Amino acid sequence: MMNAGKGQRTKCIIVMFLLFTIHYSLFTVGAEAKIYIDITAPSSKKLPIAIYDLQGPSGKEISDIIRDDLTFTGLFQCIDKVSYIEGPVQPFNPQNWTPLGIEAVVKGTVSGEKTITATIKLYDTLEIAPILSKQYQGEKDLMRQFAHTIANDIYQALTGAPGMFRTRIAFVAEHEGEKSIYLMDWDGERVRKLGLKGALVLTPHWKPDGSQLVYSSERGRQWGLYLLDFLKMTEKKVFSSKGTNMAGDFFPQGDKVIFSSSKEGTPDLFVLSLKDQTLKKLTATYGIEVSPSVSPDGNMIAFVSDRGGSPQIYLMRSDGSDVRRLTFEGAYNTSPSWSPKGDRIVFSCRRGKNQICTVKPDGDELLQLTEQGNNEDPSFSPDGRYITFSSDRDRSKGVYIMRANGEAQERVSPKGLRSTGPRWSPN
Amino acid sequence: MKKTMTKAAKTEAIFTVLTLTVILVSFVLVTGCQKKAATRPEATVPPSAKEQPASEQKQKGPEKITEQKVEAIASKDMAASSVEGKEGMFEDILFDYDRYDVKEGYRAELKAVSAWMTKNSSASISIEGHCDDRGTNEYNLALGDRRAKSVKDYLVSLGVPSSRIETISYGEEKPLCTEQGEECWAKNRRAHFVILMKAGK
Repeated sequence: MMNAGKGQRTKCIIVMFLLFTIHYSLFTVGAEAKIYIDITAPSSKKLPIAIYDLQGPSGKEISDIIRDDLTFTGLFQCIDKVSYIEGPVQPFNPQNWTPLGIEAVVKGTVSGEKTITATIKLYDTLEIAPILSKQYQGEKDLMRQFAHTIANDIYQALTGAPGMFRTRIAFVAEHEGEKSIYLMDWDGERVRKLGLKGALVLTPHWKPDGSQLVYSSERGRQWGLYLLDFLKMTEKKVFSSKGTNMAGDFFPQGDKVIFSSSKEGTPDLFVLSLKDQTLKKLTATYGIEVSPSVSPDGNMIAFVSDRGGSPQIYLMRSDGSDVRRLTFEGAYNTSPSWSPKGDRIVFSCRRGKNQICTVKPDGDELLQLTEQGNNEDPSFSPDGRYITFSSDRDRSKGVYIMRANGEAQERVSPKGLRSTGPRWSPN
Repeated sequence: MKKTMTKAAKTEAIFTVLTLTVILVSFVLVTGCQKKAATRPEATVPPSAKEQPASEQKQKGPEKITEQKVEAIASKDMAASSVEGKEGMFEDILFDYDRYDVKEGYRAELKAVSAWMTKNSSASISIEGHCDDRGTNEYNLALGDRRAKSVKDYLVSLGVPSSRIETISYGEEKPLCTEQGEECWAKNRRAHFVILMKAGK
């Protein structure tokens, strides 16, 4: 009895200690990770933010990029400088801001010629101390990435989620009759031609760690699967055969690629191991199986099949079992791609012309996001908040971006460059 | 009996803990509020001196902005096929929209192709599948592939060895006609014959 009582007391103390610790840590975490905008809410009010031009050379350019980044998200309202009461070098004072209804303020300085250094302070207008205070340094020719990095930190401090402002989009473009893989920042800046070419090149697909692209190219009457390695800056052919070989998508570990090949007759889906080059056939129908997309957890494949008489999206397990049809509306649904959380699939849906639609993997909540022109090859940004796609709405085909609810559709690829097959980088 | 005792003791203990926690939390909250209340009025005086360094400032030096260099890469296997093609010997086989079945009307022409293949027993052919541009790129590539395969199957059924017929798809990428409209689209939905010859002959 005595012993039992003692044990009880010890237990009690331990439990008390644990509870105290949990409470304490909860309290502190709660205090640090204050969320200013709930980005999961469907239509939350835009957060009014004042962003000063940074004091110093190229300060205005950097601040303009930060403003553009935050504005595109649809979560912020950048308040015009003319309404600021506080001078840029005056110390931050909440009372200069709360009457204007401004909830966050960004101030900072930048210095240096070839190498630039910036100091940034982000204020919540209810507190005197900055909620973010940080220094950045980099070469001047990386100024856009410099500004995007600052925007990422501001975004994260206010939303609690990582920003995507340093991501890129890989796409295919045609120049002087030859197709090549191109890369640009997500906002359409810094367009670079990678030089990788073929008479025909199909949509490139990113390895989940962002270090490689897989794509198909037709060279000398053969469709091959090629791998571009960004770390080694090399291109390697990983598969080719008679017939048509169409990549395809990486599995999450990056060690396998799924693609469509007609090497055995009709286009069927195959999984290629990049380690030992072994092939596994997943489908066997008389018709067409194409455009496979691997779910983020690697367990499911979305693909296009005409087994029901028209091209529709189907889902199956990654071993080829449990095939079920996902789309029933419309006679032409193609090019599926998963959201990063696996909670939606974006695809090209025919409604007269080809439009962009999203749907939940159980077939619910079908949404049509575009209305103008033909829109194809959609894919999500790594945070799942945006979608890139190609469209011919401005006559020449180009790469577009929009929010995942269809808002803020805008062409980002250059006007004169015929561009298709965009894919948002994973990081 | 012993069990109920322990239960009672447990409940009591949990109660004590909860009370203590509530007291503790309220204490922390109160002090937190007091601190805030203390700083608020001071906000009107120049605050620069009062600025507390944010947590990030304790870090070591500035964040360095870098980027992986991306250079243009030359594709290695751009060498043209060692096989050249001769075109125009046979008419294109045309298809209905989004279909890949060979229409009855082409029976005579395919018989002629088969007869030619039998006569020229060393010749091989490539059948190229094409589409109009209304579909999506990748699906059209698969559709073109399927069209080429349908024509191949037809020729094989007429006795042409499968090994002498290659197929390839170009989808919507090599249109014969670039206008928008059914007349033009119909011309693009085709299987096209190329007689393959070893280069140099």
